[in-house]
Amino acid sequence: MRTAPASAFGRLWQNERFLSLALVTPALLTIGALFLYPLGFSVISAFSVEDSGFGIANFTKAFDFYSNDILFTVIIVGISTVLIGAFAIAIGGYLTMGESPLAVSILKWLYRWPLFIPFIVAGQMMRTFLAKNGLMNNMIVGAGLLDPSQTTSFLDWRGIVITFVWKQTPFVALLVAGAMASLDRSTIEAARNLGAGRIRILAQIIVPQVRPTIVVGLILSFVVMMSVLSVPLMINAQNPTMLTVDMAFRINTYGDYGVANALGFISYAMTGFVAWIYLRQGVRQGGAP
Amino acid sequence: MNTTQKAAAVVFEKVSKAFGSVVAVNEVSLTVEPGTLVTLLGPSGCGKTTTLRLIAGLEMPTAGKIFIAGRDVSLLPATDRDVSMVFQSYALFPHMTVLENVSYGLRVSGMKKKQAGEKAEAVLAQVNMPGYGARLPSELSGGQQQRVAVARALVLEPQVLLFDEPLSNLDAKLRRQVRQDIRELQQNLGLTTVYVTHDQAEALAVSDSIIVMRNAEIAQKGSPRDLYEKPEDIFVADFIGDANVVKAEIVRIDGEQAIVRVGVIEIPLPHRGLTPGEVDLAIRPESVQLSNGAAGDALAGEVLKATYLGGHIEYTVATPVGELFVIDPRVHMMFSPGGTVGVSFAERGVTLVHP
Ligand SMILES: Nc1ncnc2c1ncn2[C@@H]1O[C@H](COP(=O)(O)OP(=O)(O)OP(=O)(O)O)[C@@H](O)[C@H]1O
Ligand SMILES: [Mg+2]
Repeated sequence: MRTAPASAFGRLWQNERFLSLALVTPALLTIGALFLYPLGFSVISAFSVEDSGFGIANFTKAFDFYSNDILFTVIIVGISTVLIGAFAIAIGGYLTMGESPLAVSILKWLYRWPLFIPFIVAGQMMRTFLAKNGLMNNMIVGAGLLDPSQTTSFLDWRGIVITFVWKQTPFVALLVAGAMASLDRSTIEAARNLGAGRIRILAQIIVPQVRPTIVVGLILSFVVMMSVLSVPLMINAQNPTMLTVDMAFRINTYGDYGVANALGFISYAMTGFVAWIYLRQGVRQGGAP
Repeated sequence: MNTTQKAAAVVFEKVSKAFGSVVAVNEVSLTVEPGTLVTLLGPSGCGKTTTLRLIAGLEMPTAGKIFIAGRDVSLLPATDRDVSMVFQSYALFPHMTVLENVSYGLRVSGMKKKQAGEKAEAVLAQVNMPGYGARLPSELSGGQQQRVAVARALVLEPQVLLFDEPLSNLDAKLRRQVRQDIRELQQNLGLTTVYVTHDQAEALAVSDSIIVMRNAEIAQKGSPRDLYEKPEDIFVADFIGDANVVKAEIVRIDGEQAIVRVGVIEIPLPHRGLTPGEVDLAIRPESVQLSNGAAGDALAGEVLKATYLGGHIEYTVATPVGELFVIDPRVHMMFSPGGTVGVSFAERGVTLVHP
């Protein structure tokens, strides 16, 4: 038979297992009820066809009507992600290696502001800023760089990209700058000692060491941008536009949940693909993402 | 300048460095002769690392001038100085292999990958790390990482090599080995080297010359022997090795010599600018000689404590001038606690010190 300590240990172990299950159950139930159920429901709805049960009619329709918008969304969000990455690295790099303490503290204070501004407000600001006779063009004209007749409105794909980058860069920069600040500074000094300049140190010493953080930040940003409705709606709701606008349109105008859910599914697939790239990288680096 | 001889002199002219109101280095002037190894020694916070970083260009002086190989480099950034540093934490690039680490400096200076790799391999062999090129730093032991850090610094054949407490992360046995290796390498390559440590034994073992620092200033510089046998003041005497500091009196000055009275005995010593009156005398533990009974020209002492340590015996002896710590190599004879002994002093290792 088992000895007393072993059985006491066994009981403790079982208690602990029970306790940990009890702890995670509410979280699991919440995910199930609020995420998995609607997700499953929308997937089913995406693959449902009115009279003949299941099929891919919704997808055929979605691609027929909106393949341009799908491409547009991928390109817009892709370009924005790349730019956000570049700016976040530049900001983090300057905060880590900047020479002038004053410039560093000013940048540190300034760069986070867009974090506290909702997307809809950002969209509104950009409308007045980027319009043909908006603030930006007025300033350019005022500075004598352009003639009023030469100005163009930026309220198209460029406006969306500018808004996304302006709004999301601080978030990624916050994560990235934090990771850079916690790096062992002596590796930076060692590189300087070996003759490397600032740009080279940023590219070859700092960025590779914080790559996981950069990737996480960009993926989270990617997911957020994929799901923002207000910005494309306010800046550019013409053709082509982003999938979120199309989904809202399908639902509000036609009550067509099937196609809307198919478009939603396509969005999931894109973010899922990006997440898969990230997970694969995590595994290759030996675990801890 | 002779271009085939790479080793360069490092000269500080009244160099100061302040961080806000903290003065880390205060009007320090020093010279490191080409091809020699100079140690900066001193207690924590006395400005050793800052001095080293000033040489590397990782800090800029707030006043004074720094010359390397005769050239004023005071305002030259680290990137442009021909100086390599081995950091206390080694600072290996964790995302690069050993070979990439060692060849990094060469790649930065524009050397082709293949050539840089070959040169790095050669230097790795020099520090006894051949065949480790493909590993990551995290896959090496502390001692191996230290060697890679040395190789990474050596590969550029710098004018000056800097070490900041390179042994502090190693265990005692490895420390002795590695410090010998570093010294050997430095002598074979004839490199000008500045070495920071707070361990006086390490400093005595590796240096051509030692600079003792205290509160951002130089307390004394000289050869290991000079510092040990002729410390200028109590601080240096105490910091380098053990010293008994006792009160004595200069009776008179006789040319270069001062006649010093310690208790009942009188000994002649170099006066070092001191004048008749009460003075401090530093006596090394192994310069105290014990004899049987109280002879005429010896102090009367009583053994308080005796500890046998294999290679030598340590005594604590009470004398009229105070308690003395004594190291006696004569292990075959031992004075027992409570016994009476005669205490006299050897010619070496006894010196007048400034207060
Ligand atoms: N970046 C800095 N900012 C402010 N003060 C500093 C800085 N670096 C060093 N100091 C101060 O300068 C003084 C000398 O520091 P330093 O690092 O040179 O000492 P150290 O002799 O190397 O000491 P240790 O043996 O502990 O390494 C200390 O008082 C330290 O607090
Ligand atoms: Mg230090």
